[in-house]
This record gives sequence, C-alpha cells and structure tokens, in this order.
Amino acid sequence: MVGLSAGEKHFIQGGIAQDLRADGRKRLTYRPIYVETGVIPQADGSAKVKMGATEVIASVKLDLARPNPSQPGKGKVSLFVSCSATAGPMFEGRGSEELSTELSVALQRCLLGGKSGAGAAFDPSCLSIVDGKLCWDAYIDGLVVSADGNLLDALGAAIKAALTNTRVPVANVPAGASLDEDPDVDLSSQETTRIDTSGVPVIVTLTKVGRHYIVDATSEEESQMSSAVSVSINKERRICGLTKRGGAGLDPSIILDMISVASHVSEQLMNKLDSEIAAAEADEQDI
Amino acid sequence: MEYVNPEGIREDGRRPLEMRHLHAEIGTVARADGSAVFEMGNTKVIAAVYGPREVQNRSQQLNDQALVRCEYTMPNFSTGDRMRKPKGDRRSTEISLVIRQTMEACILTHLMPRSQIDIFVQVLSADGGTRSACINAATLALADAGIPMRDLVTSCSAGYLNSTPLLDLSYFEDSAGGPDVTVGILPKLDKVTLLQMDARLPIDIFENVVQLATEGCKAVANYIHEVLLENTKQLEYRRGL
Repeated sequence: MVGLSAGEKHFIQGGIAQDLRADGRKRLTYRPIYVETGVIPQADGSAKVKMGATEVIASVKLDLARPNPSQPGKGKVSLFVSCSATAGPMFEGRGSEELSTELSVALQRCLLGGKSGAGAAFDPSCLSIVDGKLCWDAYIDGLVVSADGNLLDALGAAIKAALTNTRVPVANVPAGASLDEDPDVDLSSQETTRIDTSGVPVIVTLTKVGRHYIVDATSEEESQMSSAVSVSINKERRICGLTKRGGAGLDPSIILDMISVASHVSEQLMNKLDSEIAAAEADEQDI
Repeated sequence: MEYVNPEGIREDGRRPLEMRHLHAEIGTVARADGSAVFEMGNTKVIAAVYGPREVQNRSQQLNDQALVRCEYTMPNFSTGDRMRKPKGDRRSTEISLVIRQTMEACILTHLMPRSQIDIFVQVLSADGGTRSACINAATLALADAGIPMRDLVTSCSAGYLNSTPLLDLSYFEDSAGGPDVTVGILPKLDKVTLLQMDARLPIDIFENVVQLATEGCKAVANYIHEVLLENTKQLEYRRGL
C-alpha cells in the first residue's frame, strides 16, 4: 500500500472528527454492499461479497464423515480463511499467513461457538445423517480477493450468504446396512435441504480514529486507527463474539459504548444483508 | 469409457471441435495496476498485475530489463475434492514457472529496466484447462495495466479420445488419461510460445491436434480483442470523448 503523507493523515483524521469521511460517508455508514451467490460451481454453497474495493469469496463444501463421538448427532464444521496474492504483493508466498490466521481465529470465535457446540451460528445437527455413524463435515473456506479494509465484516457477510446458498444433499442409507465399514450411501436423489441461517450473526467492526469510531473503514483509514473492536451480533441483538485489535488501550466505558453503537448499526446491516442475499438467491434461481 | 458418443456429442453436450463458453471481465481488483477474470466453461481464474514497480529484492534486480515474477495458486475449494495445500506444491510451482516464461517472452522488458512486474493468478474454480485460462487472464490483466507487449498471448488445450481430436478439454475428459496438448501462441505474429503435452500420440495425429489447439487459441484471441476494444470504448466514454 502506498504510504500516506502527513497532510493526508491530517485530512483523514479531521474528516472523521467532522463526520465527513474522505469518500463522503458519515461515520456510521457502510459502503454499498453487493452480494452474488453460487459463484463456485463445484462447491455446495458459495457467495461473493463486495464492499467498495474489498472483495471476498466464501465457499462451503460438504464431505461424508463419521461424527465426533462426544457429539454423535451433529456434523463437524471447520473454517479457514486465506488471502490471495491478487489482493496485493504483500500476500505473496507466506506473507498472508499472519493475517489469514488472525481472520480465521476471529471468525471461528464468532461463528463456530464453544467446544460443547453451544453458541454456534447454525445448528450442526442439520448435518447429521445417521446418529453416531454418519454425518456431513462442512468445510467453510474464505478467500480475500481484493483488500481495501474491513475484511472481517465482509468475510462474515460472505459466510452468511454462502451458508444460505448451501444445498445439503439428502442421503439415503439403505435400511439394515452395516455402518461399521463404509456404507453404500445413496446420493442419487436430487433433493436437497437447506441450512437454517436465521441465527447466523453479522460482524460489525468499529475502528477508533482519534476520539471517534467509524464503521467499514477503508485500508487508508485503518492505517490511522488506534484500536478496533469487532462485535458479532445476531438477530436477537445478542453478542456472539468480540475481538479487540490494535495496540492502544481502551477505557472500559468506551468499549461498552462501542458495543452499543455496534449493536445499533448491526440492525441496519442485518436487514441490508438479508435483502441482498435474498435478491442474489432469487437471481441465481432465475438463471 | 465413452467420451464421444456415436452421434459425435461429448459428455457436456459439445461437439468435438467446439470450445466452451468464454467470458472475461477487466479491472475487477481495484487496487491492482491491472486485473482480469477469465472463464472457460466452469474454469474460472482471476489474475492481478502489480507493476512496473521498484524491485523488492535488490539482489534480483536486472540492469537492462524488467524482472517478471509470477505466482499461481489454487484455493482448497476450487477442485472437486478439497485440496490440502493451496500454495507451494509442485504442480503450482511448475505452472507458475510456465506462466512466467510465457509472459516474459511477450512483454517488452527492455523498456523497463531495474523494475519488477508481478503477475498473481488465482484459480477460483477448476474444471480442466486451468493453465490456458491463467495465461489468457494474465494477458488481459497485463493489457489492463498498460504494460507494453509484443502481442497478446492466448492459450488453449486439445486432446485425442475415442479416435477423435477434441478441443478445450474439461476435467472429466482430461482425467481420462489420454493426451493433453496445451498450446500458447502470439496470434498476430503467428508464433508458438508454449507447447506442452503429456501421454503419447502418433506424430501425424499430433500435428492435427496441435493445429486444432492453435485454432482454439485464435478464437480466444478474437474474443480477447473484442473485450479489450469494448473496455477502451468504455474508458473513452467515461472521459467524455
């Protein structure tokens, strides 16, 4: 990324203080969001989300597997994010590892819930085929194609859209088949079921620049941040995950204030996303 | 196994000499100097070009020409079965090398000494012919970046199954184990810049198959030409000319 001059930094910070950012937005306004589903034909579910110049792709792939013995009625879900070198030469070779790990862990925390499975974004029991013997393993992969700030929010939105787009094949296991070896699972029926994604949270990242917080920062604005708090909130306005980034310390009252601002913003974002995803799904079916 | 049925139709409904549907978009990655998305059927590839810019590793700097670097990656989800290692495996390294050598031959590197041009190619969806799609996407991205080139480079693959030469193999046909010939040409100069083949072919049939792939390359060149022309018209329009 090209460095910023002192004048440009002053301009960005001053603009934010006056509620007029460099691209004309207010502090709590998102960039236009575009959602497209079904972009990866080989995946069971996929989506592409664009927020300004930030572009991310999420895909969901399902594989047959044995469920975890401690959770026999649920499928396993794993989530990984990687940054493509197309987003910038700093992501070439192993350069993207640090950022990819940071994003993966933050998303896992927000979407996958705890070790007991509590608090997950969607109920993994919809992935179970035969209790204790056979289930679907869901692999959620995120790919950052173009990076211009606010990657976490975009990835959260893309994963939500990809999960909504996922069609779980209906597997018919012949009655009386021995399930201790590999059973003959009949996947020939074209029926599919969908995953209930009404409980999937959205992630809102608030970036603190000077004394104010902004939502959906571009990478230039992010370079001026003192700290950032990402809050994941679901439809019931409950917090599903929280991550703080950045070196500067924050007064606890400021964190509480940021959470309440995020909660307020999340409602608009949730509605916008839901309508965009529904429109994208309808478009895809028309094609 | 039957790859071409008795009526002469392939598994995906095409005729033997028919290419898959082509689609390209320019300028998709805003932060890159040049970028393009290229689709051949279900194979979808995105290329981004960063450069010419200052060389990052001084020891690699060339005093009389530009340094061209290329990285090819396939994410886990792009193929039918989820892959373990997205970067650094041998096939990716080999294809990165192939793309770099092909593009280096056509870029006028002597015009940009002591600089570096990075080409990053990311496969989004793989269904056969990824090598060719990558080269086509890289050509478009380089053109979008305004990097001077001798000519466009276009690429296409062809094979030979059930005694029929087939143009533009899909993954299903490629995995049949028959010959797979990939050709890259400079269409205006009418020169071959890339030729790769695996399995074996009798020499007279080999000539036919290479000829077929070359025709495919020319068809891709026509399409790329149209896309670039349309893009230039859009740019002119936006400037108010």
